[in-house]
Amino acid sequence: MNELQAKGFWYSEWAFALFVACLSSGIFAGTHLYYVYHVGAFNDIAIVAMLEAGIKGGGYGAAAAFGASFLFARILEGPLVGILDIGGSLQTGIGIGVPALMLGAGFTAPLISFPLALTTGAVLGLAIGTVIILIRKFTINSVNSTFGADVMMGAGNAAGRYLGPLIVISAIMASIPVGIGATAGAAIFYYFNKPIAGGAIIGAMVLGAIFPIPTQ
Amino acid sequence: MVTIIIVLKSIVIGALVGFGVGAGAARMFHAPNVQGMGAFRTFGELNACAGDPISHFSFGLGFLFNSWASVVGAGALTQDVDHRVIPNWAAAILLWKNKNVEETLHNPKRMAFAGALVGVVVVTLLNSTATAIPQSMQLVATKVLVPAANWLINPIMPIVFWMAALDAGKRTGIWGTVLGGMSHLVMGNAVPGIVLGILIGKGLDDSGWNRITKTMVVAVALLFVLSGFFRAFDVALLKSLQVEIPQWLVELHETFGSAVKK
Repeated sequence: MNELQAKGFWYSEWAFALFVACLSSGIFAGTHLYYVYHVGAFNDIAIVAMLEAGIKGGGYGAAAAFGASFLFARILEGPLVGILDIGGSLQTGIGIGVPALMLGAGFTAPLISFPLALTTGAVLGLAIGTVIILIRKFTINSVNSTFGADVMMGAGNAAGRYLGPLIVISAIMASIPVGIGATAGAAIFYYFNKPIAGGAIIGAMVLGAIFPIPTQ
Repeated sequence: MVTIIIVLKSIVIGALVGFGVGAGAARMFHAPNVQGMGAFRTFGELNACAGDPISHFSFGLGFLFNSWASVVGAGALTQDVDHRVIPNWAAAILLWKNKNVEETLHNPKRMAFAGALVGVVVVTLLNSTATAIPQSMQLVATKVLVPAANWLINPIMPIVFWMAALDAGKRTGIWGTVLGGMSHLVMGNAVPGIVLGILIGKGLDDSGWNRITKTMVVAVALLFVLSGFFRAFDVALLKSLQVEIPQWLVELHETFGSAVKK
């Protein structure tokens, strides 16, 4: 613990709650933009569509249940694994689930007013961050063990290496010119000691711009 | 006039989101000693680019086209803005001047400010441009990058984490295997389960059965039960076993707002 505190504010536990508050505030305000101007929701089309179904009058049940369950599971998972999944917890939970709950209850003010949206998001984020830090306090932090941090970091590093070859294979399956571009790009990047994922993407994009991938 | 309002609001939103994402992403590199925020895939992809600014930039760019198409078509920015574009571009900016990842990508302070800058630019750009992006670029994103990223998430990352758990000792291997399999069943991906398995296995190796490890096992069990319930895994399980779904279970699901399909 002492070593952690020595690292200062940016690594501290309570700064985490602050970061979550910032992010949730922005995400909730993004949903406000979507509600008012139909642009800017921080989520995938399929999930935003659930909220849209509610806005169009089809009931908010699906979006609320989906979002709230993700939020709940990720809040429990986050402190245990050390990484809070922002996709499930904040983008889907705070960005879709909570607005759906509010709108379902006829509580539209936080989504119509921009300042209120920012505040609502920030308060919710602060609450989530605090809960996570509290769970950590009673599990991970109160014992003298790294809980296999080295194992997880090693696996994280190893998994990343696969992306380059995956992009090349995916490009080859998409079309012949794009596949050739990705292969050449990967080879060139490897020669210059760069990660091949970047070269594969650039190669695929250049050739894909000249010879568009056919849509069947 | 509406465009100006959207631009102004987007600047605020982009700064807030970018700040949080940047700091959270840098803190992931210090997990689990420091609580990080992002996603395992973001973590894996940031590692894949290995501190090379061009790779980080091009990876983010690929997904920007994807998000652009989505926001033009449906007003949805996609989760990739927070998961991929902002962290990778923030990393690219910082690494441009300093190749040392310890001082850049792994530093929450620098990543927070770089992230805020990228967030302002990207969110404002996406929300305010109604012009469609070139169809060919969009196709490269959806036909090349999306499948590759999906393969990385499943099955590559589960396999790599699984192997790491197996190599880390018998106890970790067993916990990782059991929780990994259950996690793939209940949550749709084995990685969280394997990570929990490593956590419990290593915790037991280091300190045995004490209050902390017991609390963790209970919390993990609770996580699985609740995730299973909210994702309607219980109903799917009963159905696949050809068991009649009891009425009380259907009603229980209804109280939480999810309708059970017969």
